[in-house]
Amino acid sequence: MELIQHFSSGIVLGCIYTLFSLGLTLIYGILGLVNFAHGELYMLGAFFALFAVTTMGMNYFFAMAFSVIMMAVFGMVIERISFRPLRGKPDTSVIVATIGLSVLLQNLAIFVFGADPQRLTTDLTEVMVRFFGLAFSFQRILIVIVTAMLIMFLNYFSKYTKTGKAMRACSQDLVAAKVVGININRITIITCMIGSALAAIGGGLVAPLYLVSPVMGIKVVVKAFAVVIIGGLGNVPGAILGGFLVGISESIAAGMISSHMRDGVAFGILILVLLFKPEGIFTKRIQEKV
Amino acid sequence: MKTKSGYLYLVILALAIVAPFFIESGYVMHTLIMASIYAILTMGLNMITGFAGQLSLGHAAFFGVGAYTSALLTIKLGLNFFLALSCSVGLAGIMGVILGFPALKLKGPYLVICTIGFVEIMHEIFLNWIGLTRGPMGIVDIPYPPTLTLGSWTIDFTVSLHYYFLVLVLTVITFVIIISLVNSKMGRALKAIREDEIAAECSGVNITYYKLVAFSIGAAFAGIAGSLYAHYIGYISPDSFVLLESINILVMLVLGGMGTMVGPIIGAVGVTFLLEYIRFLAEFKLIFYGIVLMLIMVVAPGGFWGFVERLSIPSLDGKGH
Repeated sequence: MELIQHFSSGIVLGCIYTLFSLGLTLIYGILGLVNFAHGELYMLGAFFALFAVTTMGMNYFFAMAFSVIMMAVFGMVIERISFRPLRGKPDTSVIVATIGLSVLLQNLAIFVFGADPQRLTTDLTEVMVRFFGLAFSFQRILIVIVTAMLIMFLNYFSKYTKTGKAMRACSQDLVAAKVVGININRITIITCMIGSALAAIGGGLVAPLYLVSPVMGIKVVVKAFAVVIIGGLGNVPGAILGGFLVGISESIAAGMISSHMRDGVAFGILILVLLFKPEGIFTKRIQEKV
Repeated sequence: MKTKSGYLYLVILALAIVAPFFIESGYVMHTLIMASIYAILTMGLNMITGFAGQLSLGHAAFFGVGAYTSALLTIKLGLNFFLALSCSVGLAGIMGVILGFPALKLKGPYLVICTIGFVEIMHEIFLNWIGLTRGPMGIVDIPYPPTLTLGSWTIDFTVSLHYYFLVLVLTVITFVIIISLVNSKMGRALKAIREDEIAAECSGVNITYYKLVAFSIGAAFAGIAGSLYAHYIGYISPDSFVLLESINILVMLVLGGMGTMVGPIIGAVGVTFLLEYIRFLAEFKLIFYGIVLMLIMVVAPGGFWGFVERLSIPSLDGKGH
């Protein structure tokens, strides 16, 4: 019974990692850049939700919608002012720039919202749901439902819509996509909007469970890097599976062995993956060419 | 072309020698000493990131290793400062090789994450090996280097002017070592690795060897800086050697110009003085850093010196061969 409880809280954790890593891996797959500022998008998403609830007095669901829209716009802005000028620049420049973006956003958040962690309380936080002798807070169930819906939506979007197909084409070969008439700039903007919206949903969903603070992004981003590397950079199904793998094993290890093991597990898996299958568990190996 | 950049270096050196005699206040002197220490650090990082192209955020760890080694050896074993300094250099260099090993397999974002992990590990060690490092309390009362007597001259390092010249001499040594390495076969090999690793390997460059050497040399210079810092400030604690410090050094390098000889010096001196004299910047230091890192990469990836080079005659910096 205890194992099932840990397993289920692992699934909740996995959902958060998945939402976060999906954006990261989408952006990598299409823009070819590793966004070190992704944790800050997640943090800003949580702060927008908090702001909407506390200052604007919105209902939690409207606040989430507000946060997602704001962050989608924000994603568009950073694509335009920072990611697009970096296209085709060497790896080092791109990484330094996104690290700079991360430092900038984090400290702007400290300046605007203050460094103290804040709590977001909603009517749903305290509601408990019981079945089969297990207790869950409604918020956790909401996280699972939203994540499942988003994954299904993304799957539909990428397989059956024109924009989704164009995105997949871009992730396979940017130049070839351009040749067949896909508007690359439009696709990269949409990718960044989706990526930041997913991060914002993650942040907004987590906000009632944990504290909201300007440094919350850093804690997750390191884990998320582990997740996307385990799943294979740029591999969308890999990010989903990797997210659940890390979330569940972390939660079981923390509950059954020792809570000190929590952070070690993700990196333990990461080290094993890097040693034995560095291209990610779910990716076929491609030899790098000159 | 060579002589032109040679004159430039001499002018900078002359400025650095003359400057302290025009400075009255101890505060400006302190800033100048810190700027020179940062110049050594930034030149070390330039070796790893600028010339070999391996983006590393692990520099604060080497800085810390240097500082702790030198402080502990002089306090606990009563070793002479100059011996302790050499030990710092050696140990930091070994640490560089240790971090260099994963760098052989990792690239780009993977390497950055690995170096961040390295800083975190070293910070935890400084913090938790209480028997040796006194943990969060830090090490206090680190002595100044002993007074030297050269004939009729007495060099007393408690006087900041004298300490400044010690730092300056080591900065010049660092500069000379790096410039001679960069203009040798090794420099060309490093640049080949930076531009295209696979192509370099195909042309017979021993990647393993050169990457490890670049890391260990860069780290060894950070060891010098760490030792100088510890004996100058007299107090070190784990909080000084965190990721933020690495970003600090990276900002100086990026702003001055990666892969140039003069860039790191301009960056280190410029950023140190800007933060001291523009209070507005110091208050929003990290926001400023973020903007600098992003803007420079988008607008002028060559940094300040790269920009100057582009404006003036090509290959002023001896990069043209």
